[in-house]
Amino acid sequence: MAAGGPAETTRLVLAAQRQDRAAFAELYALYGRMVHGLLLARVSRTDVDDLVQDVFLQAMQRLPELREPEAFGGWLASIARHRAVDHFRRTAPTVDLPDNLAAAPIDRTQATAVLATIRRLPEAYRETLMLRLVEGMTGPEIALRTGLTEGSVRVNLHRGMKLLRDRLEGTST
Amino acid sequence: MTGDYLWDRSGEADPTVADLERLMAPLAWQPRQWREPAGTMGRRWPLPFVAALAATITIVTGLSTFVGGLKREPQQGVSITRLEGTPTVARAPIRESQSLATGRWLETNATARALVEIENVGRIEVQPSSRLALIRSKGGDHRLHLARGTVQAVIVSPPGHFSMGTPSATAVDLGCVYTMTVGDDEVGLVQVTAGWVGFEWRGRESFIPAGASCITRPRLGPGTPYYEDTSPAFRTALTTIDLGRSSADERTAAIDVVLNESRRRDVVTLWHLLSRVQGADRDRVFDRLAGFVPPPAGVTRDAVRNGRADALDAWWNALDLGTTSWWRTWTQQWREK
Repeated sequence: MAAGGPAETTRLVLAAQRQDRAAFAELYALYGRMVHGLLLARVSRTDVDDLVQDVFLQAMQRLPELREPEAFGGWLASIARHRAVDHFRRTAPTVDLPDNLAAAPIDRTQATAVLATIRRLPEAYRETLMLRLVEGMTGPEIALRTGLTEGSVRVNLHRGMKLLRDRLEGTST
Repeated sequence: MTGDYLWDRSGEADPTVADLERLMAPLAWQPRQWREPAGTMGRRWPLPFVAALAATITIVTGLSTFVGGLKREPQQGVSITRLEGTPTVARAPIRESQSLATGRWLETNATARALVEIENVGRIEVQPSSRLALIRSKGGDHRLHLARGTVQAVIVSPPGHFSMGTPSATAVDLGCVYTMTVGDDEVGLVQVTAGWVGFEWRGRESFIPAGASCITRPRLGPGTPYYEDTSPAFRTALTTIDLGRSSADERTAAIDVVLNESRRRDVVTLWHLLSRVQGADRDRVFDRLAGFVPPPAGVTRDAVRNGRADALDAWWNALDLGTTSWWRTWTQQWREK
């Protein structure tokens, strides 16, 4: 069943602002993937799950301040970006390695390499590609969840994908 | 070529994008239930919620995982019993009966069968030539992964507590009896005997009632559910629609077959198609479904054309396939995983 459109988000935000926990849990389910992707674009894979939790905790605490429920996605994305920057400032840079390097299958190693390449792209491309290729969201879904316009997402996806292809093929640095 | 695969997966798949999707998918968000650390309660939430939370002490125990990051819930008992031949766990023959640890693979060869029992959840009979792993079994979250072969599951836990992953979709049990088969090509088939099963992959969902089946395919996810007593032509047409690789004329012809052969009970198939076909084809599905079950007040053709979730939900609720509350229980629990 399709779910999670703007009307549903607004309904859930209003309910969560009235302290409805089930509504907040639904927002978490709807937007968890987006937050995960935005964080993965910036911080180590091993830290992302904890940071997703942090982002939603901050969102829960600050939700009464949100005056436009329909802007929830963009607002949440902003919290995620700030949390990633804050985390980056506090911790030493790390490099993602496969979970068990010796036994890591080729795909896992390649995925880690592609992840590193995406992270070196300009921020706008990095985020949209992470949401599209890793989190499996379509362009319209990315726009819906992040609050960006479909036009911006489409441009970022296509330009970012071109740059990623070039870098994976070694024709651009 | 029409469509833009990178944008919305329409049209012919871009091979590079599809390869990257497959490669990167294991890094994606693994949905889990939202659990709120104890410190965030207090003034923001009303007392009834506090009372409810206090009543569910197991959840409070779970919260410490988020706060402290160290404590772990005990693994719920998962036992395996040899039924026939020589099933193995981690390539070692199993004893007559033993427990299955998280992350371990249970395998059967062409002559072996085994029984997996999860305490208070259900029984899963593993047929020959199968490979099954235990991913998780804690609290209200029990997950197996069937890489290949066939299992027959009888699940008694509340809806959404048990799920069976396959290479191309996750089957979420809604309190039921079903058979799941995964072939060497990673194509999966679920056949439901009693109750309901939800099939999900990257937001694409199918909802399969007793007597119906659903195929799931790598990179496409769950197909459109159909009843076992539909004709071969009906099923072939659904395959054409689900694969999305045919010409516009072939697709239209396939939709014609489905619409012409649909009976009242096939509203399950038609409802799923509403969000899987586009443009004029969606209008035709709308009309056929409306002929069996008129859209409820507020569900307009434009709303369905635009894929509005609230309209699709409302029409689902009018199909008499289950109560709204039952459905909501399922969707909420599934999303919270």
